[in-house]
Amino acid sequence: MINTRILTQEFDYFAPESIKQVVELLERHGEGARVIAGGTDLINQMKEEKMSPSCLVNIMNVKGLRYIKEDEGLRIGAATKLRDVRAYCFKSRYVALYEAISSLGKPQVWNMGTIGGNLCNASPAADTAPPLLVFKARVKLVGKDGERELLLEDFFTGVNSTVLQPTELMVEIHLDPPGDGAGNAFLKVARVGADISKVSCAVFLKRQGRTCTECRVALGAVAPVPMRVKVVEEMIEGREIEESLVAKASEIVSEEVKPIDDIRSSAEYRRQVAAVTFRDVFWKAWDRAIGGKN
Amino acid sequence: MNKRKVTFTVNGERHELVVEPNELLLNVLREKLGLTGTKYACGKGQCGACTVLVNGESFLSCLTLAVAVDGAEIRTIEGVAEPDGTLDPIQEAFLDSSAIQCGFCTPGMVLMGRELLNRNPRATEEEIREQIKGNLCRCTGYFSIVRAIKSCCEK
Repeated sequence: MINTRILTQEFDYFAPESIKQVVELLERHGEGARVIAGGTDLINQMKEEKMSPSCLVNIMNVKGLRYIKEDEGLRIGAATKLRDVRAYCFKSRYVALYEAISSLGKPQVWNMGTIGGNLCNASPAADTAPPLLVFKARVKLVGKDGERELLLEDFFTGVNSTVLQPTELMVEIHLDPPGDGAGNAFLKVARVGADISKVSCAVFLKRQGRTCTECRVALGAVAPVPMRVKVVEEMIEGREIEESLVAKASEIVSEEVKPIDDIRSSAEYRRQVAAVTFRDVFWKAWDRAIGGKN
Repeated sequence: MNKRKVTFTVNGERHELVVEPNELLLNVLREKLGLTGTKYACGKGQCGACTVLVNGESFLSCLTLAVAVDGAEIRTIEGVAEPDGTLDPIQEAFLDSSAIQCGFCTPGMVLMGRELLNRNPRATEEEIREQIKGNLCRCTGYFSIVRAIKSCCEK
């Protein structure tokens, strides 16, 4: 039986102050080393014995990992706390990210958890992933051979797995500038306020009058990784928006997702709710693109 | 495991302790410092009973490594009232509103209320409900807790 009162696992602990030191520690301790940020996911996984690192490298004291700045879009340091990202995105051009973090966990988790942690843990239900996917976010990773940058959609490889090497650290998340005439929104379906998503969806779009000139759609908790639905995006882009088109698109969303049955929902339920959630989020983003609130 | 010396302030008092990396803040508070007001319930960060304030922000002490709060200022339920025993207005409000039944969620609830009021003394009912959405109470049905916190808000 799992004991959640104490942490029975034994491990070494380091709290370096620079990115260079983090990479050195990860290299020195090899596969058994894990980066810890807020710990809200990792400590749970260790208590449940799903993970047993021999060494934890805490990155919360590392300088230069906590910032939010406008620079060709939005750049967020990977160890920036969810509370700070949420506060920054409130009533901003990135409001979908505000909505996603508001629905994620609870105030305690916003205080402890980081945006990079939410991504690197790679839960299929990670709430920050769908909005970041539709903002075409890129993530910057630093390792012993220097740094590399890739699209977030190429970052996730499966449930709790990513392209991150054991000796690499995520340092930055970079969102595209939304530009004019853009609207975005996020919505999730969960049992109660602080619960994990059954289905989540984010939409980013641009409109000119009744025409949608750009559209990106992403869903969470309905496949092994948070996913873009490109068939639907192509169906909508360049078209005049009518109820019937959005209804047709939502049917495709339902067909494209690959949900599973689990403790929170059945796959069948998720398919149906994914369609409705997409439709609601689409219209919300559509209205926002001309300055509407709902 | 590499034992480490950590220094933090708990309710205004400075403590220097040697801890193992796998010791949780919750257990250090309860067992090493004897501050049993902070409760262990789910141990998974789902119920909020273990909430403490770390540098003024609510943290789940059951998911916090003690080594990770080295240098921090921590406030537990024992440090909410004045040293002479005078209750904090929010504690008075919990009594006045009958917001306590079994009392197990109360330390977390009071600290969540305190954090909210420190940040936003004019919080609305919606903001109060959002603030305590991760703290479970099996007795009161939450109404009296919301009422208690609301009564401490400036109009």
